[in-house]
Amino acid sequence: MKTLMTPQLIRITEIYDDGEASSHFTFEPVNGINHSARPGQFFTLTLPGHCEAAFTYLSLPDAEGRFKALIRRAGTLTSALFNCNAGDLIGFRGPFGNSWPLDQLLGKRILIIAGGIGLPPLAAIADHLINSNNTQVALIYGSRSPADQVLKYERSAWHMYMPILETFDHPSSQEQLAGTPLDHLQEMTVKLGGHPEAILTCGPEVMMNAVGHHFVQNGLPPENIWLALERRMHCGVGECGHCYLGSSYVCTDGPIYSWQQLTRLQLQTTA
Amino acid sequence: MKAFLLDDIDQLRDHLASQRSLFTPQYTEGSTELNWLPLTSKTKSVTTERPLLPTYPAKQFFFPDREILFQFDGSDFKETLPEPEPQILFGVRSCDLCAIAYQDRFFRQDPYYQARRRATLLVGIDCNMPCEGGFCPTVDAGPFVRDGLADLVCHQQQDASWLLMVHTPAGEALIQGLELKAAESHHITRRNKQEQQVAARFPSATHIETGIQRINQAQVPAETWQAMGLQCLTCSGCTNLCPTCSCFTSYDRPVADGFERERCWDSCLYDAFQREASGHNPSATAGQRVERFWFHKFSNEYTKTFDRYGCTGCGRCEKTCPGVIGVHSVMKRISATL
Repeated sequence: MKTLMTPQLIRITEIYDDGEASSHFTFEPVNGINHSARPGQFFTLTLPGHCEAAFTYLSLPDAEGRFKALIRRAGTLTSALFNCNAGDLIGFRGPFGNSWPLDQLLGKRILIIAGGIGLPPLAAIADHLINSNNTQVALIYGSRSPADQVLKYERSAWHMYMPILETFDHPSSQEQLAGTPLDHLQEMTVKLGGHPEAILTCGPEVMMNAVGHHFVQNGLPPENIWLALERRMHCGVGECGHCYLGSSYVCTDGPIYSWQQLTRLQLQTTA
Repeated sequence: MKAFLLDDIDQLRDHLASQRSLFTPQYTEGSTELNWLPLTSKTKSVTTERPLLPTYPAKQFFFPDREILFQFDGSDFKETLPEPEPQILFGVRSCDLCAIAYQDRFFRQDPYYQARRRATLLVGIDCNMPCEGGFCPTVDAGPFVRDGLADLVCHQQQDASWLLMVHTPAGEALIQGLELKAAESHHITRRNKQEQQVAARFPSATHIETGIQRINQAQVPAETWQAMGLQCLTCSGCTNLCPTCSCFTSYDRPVADGFERERCWDSCLYDAFQREASGHNPSATAGQRVERFWFHKFSNEYTKTFDRYGCTGCGRCEKTCPGVIGVHSVMKRISATL
């Protein structure tokens, strides 16, 4: 029996380009070892010789154990991953971390706000909410430019089930919405049929901080604003120390925090 | 708790060493460093002079500075759990025993740590006088060994004879075969009284107490942390010598037909400790990292989990820090601001 420190083999079954320096990967279990995961959780991939790094589930394991990830090439490990082909075997550990608060979201009017590469951590929960009958959900997705957008196919499917606004720091045509997600809340409130009762957000910390402050100032209880935080999750089991956030370890206490939890942690230290 | 009287502590040490490998603090030949080394025929008698802390705490026995986690042979990942020989650490001081208890909790689910820890029995020794830079009484970590933190505890009485206290069944099994006279309750009472007398001999540590308060009330200005951060040379001396520090990183090392993953001690004071693939670094300044290090040692946030602070008052960080930001220097600076 392997412990949580030792990876299992998984097979890459599909790879395609999806946005700037980003690819869409599908994995399947090897040796029949399947697992389940909840929206918001993460896993690690080992590229033999290049150690490992953490990635979020774009889609959760299905009945055959297949799951997906959207990965941006950023360093030596992801470069090695981008050199892989369908059929290659790599290492997997997980799932790790907590999940989006599914029970607290049902029946609410929910606005998802994603920035850049922050969209993939929101994909599994978006799928989950779309399939929850009594929940209203909408998405604002901000990117630097159209070329930076990821999850082309997922977004085109979501358009059928929820209102989506896409914003750009640098739009390439006049039809595209210029600005940040916060610049277009008014339009989205109309599409959503009222002010949101819960916010789910992931993106650059500057954006998430702006989102949190905006909605708290506008009267949304801080416990109804949820963020997927990134830190350098390394071991996944709360031991190696790299992902600390005040007294919390993001790999075990997070990566999902409420604005209430986050502001309390931010008061502890400046790191 | 059973307790016995002991005339010769070396006899106890030899008896224990006949059953398991035994390590005890000894001076390395030609060096002034006190290190944890195996008992040999050259090992000197247990010192009754002023108590000295080994340069390194005992954490390396359970959480070694380097260890292999698994191997990849080209086709699959093979876990490499340690299979340690039964061993005894003889003469562990109270501060280091508190740190072992702290790490026992921290690594409670780590099979590598636990395999080594399970193979080890601990023999503690009460400190009968303060050590240089130590402040264990201020953080409830000494000078006498706390109940339950060692299998056996030795206490030198005022007449130079020893009181041997047995805290676990494993400790009791270890002393089978030794002819020992049972201690009486007044021996225990006298020991308890003596701890108060020894504790009273420690220098004032009001700067530590005030510093703990300021850290917990978030009253330390960011400029003070930044000023101390300038003095951090990121040498990792403090985190290596701290008996409760546990951060690690891991990397893959090529071997024939594959690779092995090794984990090694890391330091939260390194500038890239939290740097992410995007380049974003949540603790980009040395001041932030110094702040977080001391928060981790003295915040009440952690006492819920560990029933104590992450500092056990050993003072090693002060001795080793070339930038003069060990515990006394930092806490004096913090308590002087405001």
